[in-house]
Amino acid sequence: MTTRRTFMASLLAAAAAPKLTWAEAGNPAYLGAAREADGGFALFGLSADGADLFRISLPGRGHAAAAHPVRPEAVAFARRPGTFALVIDCARGRLAARLEAPEGRHFYGHGAFLHGGEVLATTENHIESGEGRIGFWAASEGYARIGEVASGGIGPHEVRTMPDGRTLAVANGGILTRPETGRDKLNIPQMAPNLAYAGEDGVLETVSLDPDLHLDSIRHLAVSAEGRVAFAMQWQGEAMDGVPLLGLHFRGEAPQLLEAGFAEQVAMEGYAGSVAISGERVAITSPRGGRVHVFGLNGELAGILRRSDVCGIAPAPAGFVASDGLGGLLSLDTAAAVRPLAHAARSWDNHLVALG
Amino acid sequence: MRRLAALCLALCFTPVPSLVSAGVDEAVTDVILPAQARFASETANLAAAAEADCTPETLKDPWNDAFDAWLGVAHLRLGPIEEEGRGLAISFWPDTRGMMPRSLAGMIADRDAIVDRPDEFGQVSVAARGLFALEQLLYEPDFSGYSSGSYTCRLATAIAEDLARMAGEIEAGWRDGFAAALTDPGGSPYLTDREAVQALYTALATGLEYNQDQRLGRPLGTLDRPRPTRAEAWRSERSVRNVILSLTALEDLAEALADTPIPETTDAFGGAIARADALDDPALAGVEDPAGRFRIEALQTDLGVLRRTLDTELGTALGVSAGFNSMDGD
Repeated sequence: MTTRRTFMASLLAAAAAPKLTWAEAGNPAYLGAAREADGGFALFGLSADGADLFRISLPGRGHAAAAHPVRPEAVAFARRPGTFALVIDCARGRLAARLEAPEGRHFYGHGAFLHGGEVLATTENHIESGEGRIGFWAASEGYARIGEVASGGIGPHEVRTMPDGRTLAVANGGILTRPETGRDKLNIPQMAPNLAYAGEDGVLETVSLDPDLHLDSIRHLAVSAEGRVAFAMQWQGEAMDGVPLLGLHFRGEAPQLLEAGFAEQVAMEGYAGSVAISGERVAITSPRGGRVHVFGLNGELAGILRRSDVCGIAPAPAGFVASDGLGGLLSLDTAAAVRPLAHAARSWDNHLVALG
Repeated sequence: MRRLAALCLALCFTPVPSLVSAGVDEAVTDVILPAQARFASETANLAAAAEADCTPETLKDPWNDAFDAWLGVAHLRLGPIEEEGRGLAISFWPDTRGMMPRSLAGMIADRDAIVDRPDEFGQVSVAARGLFALEQLLYEPDFSGYSSGSYTCRLATAIAEDLARMAGEIEAGWRDGFAAALTDPGGSPYLTDREAVQALYTALATGLEYNQDQRLGRPLGTLDRPRPTRAEAWRSERSVRNVILSLTALEDLAEALADTPIPETTDAFGGAIARADALDDPALAGVEDPAGRFRIEALQTDLGVLRRTLDTELGTALGVSAGFNSMDGD
């Protein structure tokens, strides 16, 4: 019998040299989805200084949630709780594959590539049980479904690849939703989020915060080259509670929570939308609070940027690049001092995906 | 380098024309700056009154005047009020964790000498500062029995002076730069005219939402569990007055921001203010009583209709809408 592991190994062996690379799509530094001025939606490839390199129409609002590490392929998920995802060939400007969630599953909106791009991992809901799943898809086999494992919690949201290329960090947000009730949160009093590490054979380690913080939904992730995981949270209690919204974790160690002082925590309105690590800095955005908080990896607050509806953030050579719902792309230095890069009549969606 | 960046901004960013020219100048000059000046002067009056006599019966009137003035600016959560945690320090509400009585009681028990060092009082926890800290001292029986010369009296004076200082700093911040950042954008924080319009429109829409969800929604709670002591400023019985004054200020902002008449919005504001006026339930205690609750819910419904009317009539005309990401999270 072919196990998932041997199947994946055979995929790796069979992988042909990719025909097209990101160079054919203009070598974008970032991908971002946006609503355009006419109300339509599109995926953009952006240069390091924020210029448009390509534009591909999308059928509706979605995330640019994952970029293939080699081939010019971006995975965009339909809005939660969606049952399909699109793999977009960014060089030819066309659909490369369409992923349908298996029967009884739906996607949670994020994915990540393993094994140098051979396998795509997606966060999913096993609807009947409400338990999270990580689905695996073979990129070089037309994104055929090749297996799944438990995510280690309810409501897995973002998933990121660890530096070893085969382990995943999974943000199990803890919030139960069901397709028939849309985004209604069905288990707030009992919710128990965690950060999990998983491989093709299942969960390797889970990390939970103090029970007092069980309403802090762990939803978005960033991973440094050294394997440090930053996790951004969304508080399901009152904004005025002013709880931490960012944590750092190394496998096998205790998590560390980062805060900017009570008034600033309250100003984030209990909501971090994206997280990124750049060198010795980590940043979270709050579109609700109109803020970016930048911290040192030592936990000290390094700077605050106020910017309406800011949500996307990604690393840049000198700090970060952030995107907002007003169409702005902003360069932030390591202390959150801002320099506008570009401005267009579009609303950037929640995330900015860095390539390379 | 800075000049280069400014030049680049001027060249690189072409404002997106909106469908009607928005009245950012009118909103700033005719509505916001006078309201900031009033808040600064009323809090200065409050501090002066406390200097002269810090006992509750003397301070209640100037405190109420300062609170009235606050409602003219409370929704303007942009610019100087966002710095140094001023907004939260002025208005620490809702106190979801009951921090305020604990913080005040702790300071009083410790006789914390920071009350005698006005330059340092800004370092005190936001849970022991601002309008709501003074409301506790003036109206909450646990605190309000204090006499002239007591520690609590000095604490009340320190809080009043701290409020006046912050209101003065906010007014100065608007006058000395932030007003111009809105009326003549092209740098940080507003890159374009449209962003300035968007910022004021967002303040307007968020202010309405706050009245609906917080000022009315919190005491309404659920049918099974109404929460009258979650009403804003229920101790001083200002809860409905706050809604009325806030709506009045929001209407002034809406009318100024619109360059053309907005009759449906004007009618909707008028209807909601009239209904609030007719409530005759200053602390929203009626949330516990079926008839009273029905009337408060009707006002809340009015505010929902008002928000949609504003969005259709003014938001569309200005070419702006509520936040793309802030309103639709992931």
